[in-house]
Amino acid sequence: MKLFDRLRPAVVNGLRELQANKVRSLLSMSGIILGVASLVAMVTVVQGMVGNFRQFVDAMGGIEKITVTREQLPKEQEHLAELSEGITMRDVERIRKTVPLVENISPEARVGYERLIIDGHETSTYVTGVTADYLPVAKRWVDPGFGRFISGLDVLNMNDVIVLGSAVVPELFGPNEDPVGKIVKIRGRRFTVIGVLNNIEGTGMQIRSANSRSSGGAWRWRNSGAFIPVSTAQAKFLGNDRLSGLGLRIGEAEQLRNAVEQTERTMLAGHKGLRDFAISTNEQTLEDFRKTEAAFKLSLGGVAGISLFVGGIGIMNVMLASINERIREIGVRKAVGARGSDLFLQFLAEAAVISVVGGVIGLAVSMGIVALMNYILTQALPTGAVATLDWVIMSQGLAFSVVVGLVAGVYPALRAAKLDPIEALRHE
Amino acid sequence: MSALIAIRGLRKAYVMGDETVHALAGVDLDFQKGEFVAILGPSGSGKSTLMHILGFMDTPTEGSIVFDGQEVAKLDPDLRAWYRSNRVGFVFQSFNLLPRLTVLENVALPLLYREHSDPAANAAAATVALERVGMSHRLDHRPSQLSGGERQRVAIARAIVGSPSIIFADEPTGNLDVKNVDRILDLLGSLIKEGITVVLVTHDLSVAEKAHRVISMRSGLVQEDRTR
Ligand SMILES: Nc1ncnc2c1ncn2[C@@H]1O[C@H](COP(=O)(O)OP(=O)(O)OP(=O)(O)O)[C@@H](O)[C@H]1O
Ligand SMILES: [Mg+2]
Repeated sequence: MKLFDRLRPAVVNGLRELQANKVRSLLSMSGIILGVASLVAMVTVVQGMVGNFRQFVDAMGGIEKITVTREQLPKEQEHLAELSEGITMRDVERIRKTVPLVENISPEARVGYERLIIDGHETSTYVTGVTADYLPVAKRWVDPGFGRFISGLDVLNMNDVIVLGSAVVPELFGPNEDPVGKIVKIRGRRFTVIGVLNNIEGTGMQIRSANSRSSGGAWRWRNSGAFIPVSTAQAKFLGNDRLSGLGLRIGEAEQLRNAVEQTERTMLAGHKGLRDFAISTNEQTLEDFRKTEAAFKLSLGGVAGISLFVGGIGIMNVMLASINERIREIGVRKAVGARGSDLFLQFLAEAAVISVVGGVIGLAVSMGIVALMNYILTQALPTGAVATLDWVIMSQGLAFSVVVGLVAGVYPALRAAKLDPIEALRHE
Repeated sequence: MSALIAIRGLRKAYVMGDETVHALAGVDLDFQKGEFVAILGPSGSGKSTLMHILGFMDTPTEGSIVFDGQEVAKLDPDLRAWYRSNRVGFVFQSFNLLPRLTVLENVALPLLYREHSDPAANAAAATVALERVGMSHRLDHRPSQLSGGERQRVAIARAIVGSPSIIFADEPTGNLDVKNVDRILDLLGSLIKEGITVVLVTHDLSVAEKAHRVISMRSGLVQEDRTR
């Protein structure tokens, strides 16, 4: 096409100008470089964080989970503390009867951070009393060959049985030892190991060496811990019928609000109006995260936007200076037959070349930033690599810089196009 | 025989505040194909103004110019640009070569702005033009590496590269020494053998003597028009 024929020499000329003024061009690019680098790195890192957080929420039981926990009475009800019975198995029964949206209820009675002893070896971990419903609510399971989980019968008979988290096993047993059937002592009581919970691992959630308590961080608890029948915990350790909380699983995430409301009403009714409990969902965590994400995007987007804006001004500035220096050149080109549009194209192409080169350098810088962010974040979080650059974001960043370059180049290019040839030739 | 260029009642006025300068105050002239014309006149007499208008770089305030049978006094800028790259060549006192471009690229520049511009063909045409002015051994040099006379020869090559029907040279020898003046004048004079009309502006009577026709201007008017 004709335009392409006119564009080619303009682009070649632009590259030449860039080569002839390396330092000045690089300086004029700095804004674009910064803008593209921060834009691409920002979008990449935020996307990575969002993806990671989704996994985190899933590991927390997903969006279909409701958690009921014991809570101190509010100020206006403090004088009724004597009447508070706390959360008990009676709440479980009431919710089961009145809130059909709830499919599974997992009563949980926290025993505490206990020492687990088996001839010679010992380790400390959180021991919790649960029922068989813990598995569906926590989205956990026991892999084949790793025994079984606590059953209804175990709860009914207050059996002294225990299921271990996968991270606990290597602290108590040798590498080839089968823990199932072994006896573990807690506060002198003998518990039979009946199973080992599945190990949580995989994308974005690597659990580092289960043996070192310092590493592993926030994710480690998912694989540590030990579970006994809730009845055993209450009768033999706690000495009362109280629970530390309930985990509820509902069928459909869309029904979360309704289920929360119904649960709250049931709980209030059962507790004679006492607010000695709190209800929370991952939705709130997710919502908090969304807000953080939005704030992140806004502030980093602002930084990127401002640097791209400044980058545009930088390019415009350099183009104007360059045109001022080359007024005679413009005059000569016009005198030998260049139209206004030829010079417009020439200078616009020059601005575009600067912004494309700046954009490409910016992309290279963004790779460095993302690598650095990944390094820092993997140190701070146990969730592994958080972000990978993808070509969609990169091409968007490049396109953005080209648009900035073109917009910034329009005014200088128009000035070049409009110059009168005689005036321009007379220019010293 | 109809003239290549026929000028009638040509006026150019510059209004600056209350004052109006009549750079051209009613010029009537005809230029024939293959003429070698010198325009003489004191400073400010309107020589350059006339050249700029005839060279399609400027437009007159009033009057008519018929170029090759076409009325061209009031063309829009893009059409004037077309005439500049296709019909006329211009040679300046100060050469006006682009320092960043090579000799070859400078000479090919007018062809770059033509409709069907092909880099290889442009380079070939530029080489031929440079051969014509005896500069084909310096294709890849920069203008800064050339002497004044050599630069002006390159500028003449640029003016003839597009096979124009007329070349305007505004004091082309003003920056040159005697030896180079002769060489440039011989070169310009030789162009008329190819049917190119050459119009040359000068202050210098000895330069004007080389032309076949000498036009003297004063205060924006043709004072004398003498063919030898
Ligand atoms: N752009 C302009 N604005 C105002 N006046 C102008 C402009 N260009 C030329 N003039 C005036 O027009 C008159 C003719 O100028 P021109 O350049 O044609 O003279 P010239 O014959 O080429 O002179 P010289 O021999 O010094 O080059 C002069 O008085 C000049 O001051
Ligand atoms: Mg003059």
